[in-house]
Amino acid sequence: MIELALELPLARFPLRVDARLGDGITAIMGPSGSGKTSLLEAVAGLRPRTRGRIVVNSTTLLATADRVRVRPEHRRVGYVPQDAGLFPHLTALGNVRFGARGATDRVRAAIETLELTPLLARHPATLSGGEKQRVALARSLASDPRLLLLDEPLAALDVGLRERIVPYLLRIHDEWRVPVLYVTHSVGEALSLAEAVLLLREGTVDAHGPALDLLCRPAISRAAESGIENLLTAQVVAHDVEGGTTRVVLDDGTALSIPLLSARGPGDAVSLAIRAEDILVAVEPVHGLSARNVVEVRIAAIDRIGRDALLRCGRAAGGRQWLVRITPSAVASLGLVSGRAVWLAIKSHSFRVL
Amino acid sequence: MLSPDELRVVGFTLRIAALGTVLLLVPGIMVALALARYQGPGKSIMETMLSLPLVLPPTAVGLLLLSVLARQGLLGRWLDAAGIQVVFTWKAVLLATMVMAFPLFVRSARTGFEEVDPRLVGLARTLGCGPLAAFFRVTLPLAWRGILAGTMLAFARALGEFGATIMIAGNIPGRTQTLALAIFQASQVGHDDRAQVLAAVTVLLAFATLWTAELFTRRRARRAAT
Repeated sequence: MIELALELPLARFPLRVDARLGDGITAIMGPSGSGKTSLLEAVAGLRPRTRGRIVVNSTTLLATADRVRVRPEHRRVGYVPQDAGLFPHLTALGNVRFGARGATDRVRAAIETLELTPLLARHPATLSGGEKQRVALARSLASDPRLLLLDEPLAALDVGLRERIVPYLLRIHDEWRVPVLYVTHSVGEALSLAEAVLLLREGTVDAHGPALDLLCRPAISRAAESGIENLLTAQVVAHDVEGGTTRVVLDDGTALSIPLLSARGPGDAVSLAIRAEDILVAVEPVHGLSARNVVEVRIAAIDRIGRDALLRCGRAAGGRQWLVRITPSAVASLGLVSGRAVWLAIKSHSFRVL
Repeated sequence: MLSPDELRVVGFTLRIAALGTVLLLVPGIMVALALARYQGPGKSIMETMLSLPLVLPPTAVGLLLLSVLARQGLLGRWLDAAGIQVVFTWKAVLLATMVMAFPLFVRSARTGFEEVDPRLVGLARTLGCGPLAAFFRVTLPLAWRGILAGTMLAFARALGEFGATIMIAGNIPGRTQTLALAIFQASQVGHDDRAQVLAAVTVLLAFATLWTAELFTRRRARRAAT
């Protein structure tokens, strides 16, 4: 649990944030200049004028009322700025090692998580945007952070690269169990990665809650015109070379078939993405359809985002949720209401392997 | 080519220039860093004052130093009481070259520090470096080229210092005579051939200094780019 109750004077308005954040990924959103980067810098200890309280998992980093102000070098808060901020005079390996204080096992694990082995001898000037981000993420992880601050790690990357970073972020979250504050402008990213969203406006918290619940707010949904994705972690079961598909299974037991992925063996983990608008909804069990995947689910909620409707569907309450984007007229003509059972049809080729 | 006396003058000049450059490194780096980072009031005044010795006649700077260091001067009185003689000794030569080389060093080193993104220093802090460690592991290596260029410029300037030196150290053969002073003296007494030889030596030394710096910064730049 991360407790923030801080105040920091900025040029146009003061930043005032009072919020308790969970241990998962929290997306920080809001218009440009609303104080998102300042908030990260305040938590990292790089803004000496910050007042108030910052407590991360019962370690106090700032408590100005008690004259406690932990120096940035003792906070163990990893910060990855938008441009990665690599040290240009060091190789990728030198960067990853920078904050590790000789903990070679952590360095090795960070290099492994972000698959940096082929890049280690290179200088930042020769790395691509995505490679820089991966090195910067590894550098933070190797310094043994109790909290990770990511400032739009994907914004500088084009769409293809973005997709290649996402699985690394999910791995950091799943394997390293570090809470993450994640600044983003992309609703799609927030929905796919974050458990909660903190919405800032002119330095104050405009809204704070589960990512999906904030979708209906006009400020967010206007930005949500595209890019809402379902991100899935699955396990390879078997290959059907003749049929051109690979069978995988999700953690809730849902079996799916995806385009043949002979590079992975049975038992390997694989990250998949599917766009919310690429899923078909049927109100009866479907037969005779070319789509290889039909999943029976129940509608948990129907929200309005922009001009569209977004269905949240799951097999069981509290289980994994599918996000399905359809037009409001489809909702009306199919008579969709929350609680109703529906069948989701998904083409194998709609899945992208990340 | 060179007589033993002239060789001694070359050795003395090199030693003074090297010692002066080494001695001004630490204060010079501190001043350069302060000027690069400080953004408050009085910054332009400080920068102007620091650049002043670059444009003043060196003899004027020498005169000022002399008045401060003379036996009745501000510092001289105190030094005299401590039994330290500065004026007209090798210490005066050292001081004169340092005062004249200092602004050159600071200007170059400051440019080097200004090119270091302060956010990288902040990042080094979040990665566990205290302010001093962040300076040595990030700021200094990144400002290295400016500092090296400044060091070489300062050394070259110290090799050729004349005006301030002659004011506070005189031109005493065997005691305070540097190459620049020896050229002047040889020319004054009509030994034009000796003056030319000595002048050629200074050209050679200055060229070697600047060329070394150039090669070194080039190689570093190339290594950083590949």
